Amino acid sequence: MKNRIFYNRVGFLTLFNKEIHRFMKVPVQTVLAPLISNVLYMLIFGGMLQTRSVGIEGINYLHFLVPGLATMGAIFASFQNPSFSIISQKFQNTIQDLNSYPISITEKILAFVFGGMFRGVLVGILTYVATIFVVGYEVEYPLFFVLALTATSFVFASLGLIAGLVLDNFEKMNFALAIIITPLTYLGGVFFEVSKLPGFLSYIKYINPIYPLVNVSRYAYIGVCEGNIVIHVFWTIALILSSFFIAAYIFKKGVGIKTV
Amino acid sequence: MLKINDVSMTYQKGKKEALTNVSLNIEEGEFTALLGQNGAGKSTLINILAGNVKKTKGAVTIGGYDIDRKELETKKIIGIVPQDTGYDFIFTVDEALKKQSGYFGIKDNKEYIDELLDALYLTEKRSARLRDLSGGMRRRFLIAKALVHKPKILILDEPTAGVDIEMRHTLYDFLVKLHQSGTTIILTTHYIEEAEKLCKRIVIIDGGKIIADEPKEELMDAFSRESVIEVHFDAELNLADFDFLSEYHPHIEDKTRLQLKASKKDLSKVFKQLSERNMEFTNLVVERPKLEDIYLNIIKH
Repeated sequence: MKNRIFYNRVGFLTLFNKEIHRFMKVPVQTVLAPLISNVLYMLIFGGMLQTRSVGIEGINYLHFLVPGLATMGAIFASFQNPSFSIISQKFQNTIQDLNSYPISITEKILAFVFGGMFRGVLVGILTYVATIFVVGYEVEYPLFFVLALTATSFVFASLGLIAGLVLDNFEKMNFALAIIITPLTYLGGVFFEVSKLPGFLSYIKYINPIYPLVNVSRYAYIGVCEGNIVIHVFWTIALILSSFFIAAYIFKKGVGIKTV
Repeated sequence: MLKINDVSMTYQKGKKEALTNVSLNIEEGEFTALLGQNGAGKSTLINILAGNVKKTKGAVTIGGYDIDRKELETKKIIGIVPQDTGYDFIFTVDEALKKQSGYFGIKDNKEYIDELLDALYLTEKRSARLRDLSGGMRRRFLIAKALVHKPKILILDEPTAGVDIEMRHTLYDFLVKLHQSGTTIILTTHYIEEAEKLCKRIVIIDGGKIIADEPKEELMDAFSRESVIEVHFDAELNLADFDFLSEYHPHIEDKTRLQLKASKKDLSKVFKQLSERNMEFTNLVVERPKLEDIYLNIIKH
């Protein structure tokens, strides 16, 4: 007997497929643009900062930078996919269609989160591929690296879904990206060791969800990271669960998609 | 097929009561018009059925399933054509209909999609992006979209608003065929002649309450006292000659036509009285009030 958590497999796959189809229709904007940005970051920051001690001691700065850039690419891509999808449906007045499908709430949430996760992992892996020509292809723990990108993308796809439901227009979403996500990314250890930041900035890592995610990827890529990898993995799992359940709670409440 | 029992809805924003103790029972195969002014509560009622609005009180069952406890089952039974012609910019007609089928768990629906596109004159536009369709085409697309899963109940929220007259009649024909094939249809519209032409039952909602709910013919008969009987004569008429019909408020129009306000039931009486007085007339016409007049009459009272 079908239960309410998983009710309509074809419906779930169609919604998931739509989330992928939507961004694949505009690949220049959704995949190529962030890829080019990341490659430029690597060439410019990599070239400028290679001789300075901003990364982990004893590690080539370019090797330090690659997992950070891949994580950053995954963060933005996975966040933007569901948030843009939901807000554009609000803009197009089609958001209420979501209520008419015989697809369970869990399936709908997973379709949006997996869609964002797919795009995040794709951008993250393509960032890695693009850097092969400069830094080589060696990855310390390849499967762990893919899992780290997947976890990061899952967390930010869930957060993107929350943003899409709670915010009602593109201006607010861009504001959230510019004022919250971007600074947290820069302060999360993408380009440098956070502990090397001056004063209170070095303490932001304790409340910055991006910090453990970047470090898990970095550990998987080069075998070392800033801080304790076990604690980073623990926080990553906590972030996966909390972001998903908050997204599920908000979705179930009908925020942004139902009128009360 | 659709049971709405004592449903109320108060919007949290503004504390506005949109529906008050609404009860309605729609049987399988009915073609019902849901009429009312803007803000009367029609769209709120439809949005409750669609799952877009949460009711504050009451119960709704669709096809025997409670919309709160068996929500997903109810989705398969209804198809909704929204008032708003919102659309996804990037997909083509074909892509959007395939996806819509998928959401309802249908993997391969090509044959039925072809049928719908053909019936709604959209076959040539199947590869066109939705943003490139005209307003009328988009309305037809929304009907196709609401029907891809072959719902037993189709709810249309002002489907012909902004559609040209020719296409409106095409849609009427389509809806009649759909109804004949067994689909239960609920139509909201501001074009009352549309409801008069298509529907068998009229529900009028005003201020969030149902103020009339009758089979169309019964409603029109009940108001038939508002009919006008017109008797045509060859010669010029003198109003004083018709004092014997004073209870029907006689009135002469164009010198040769006698107009009486009477019901269809009074027709034989009028006929008899005229014959008894050897008043030869050339024609006798009964003009029933239009649904629009009845609707306005009900709304005003």
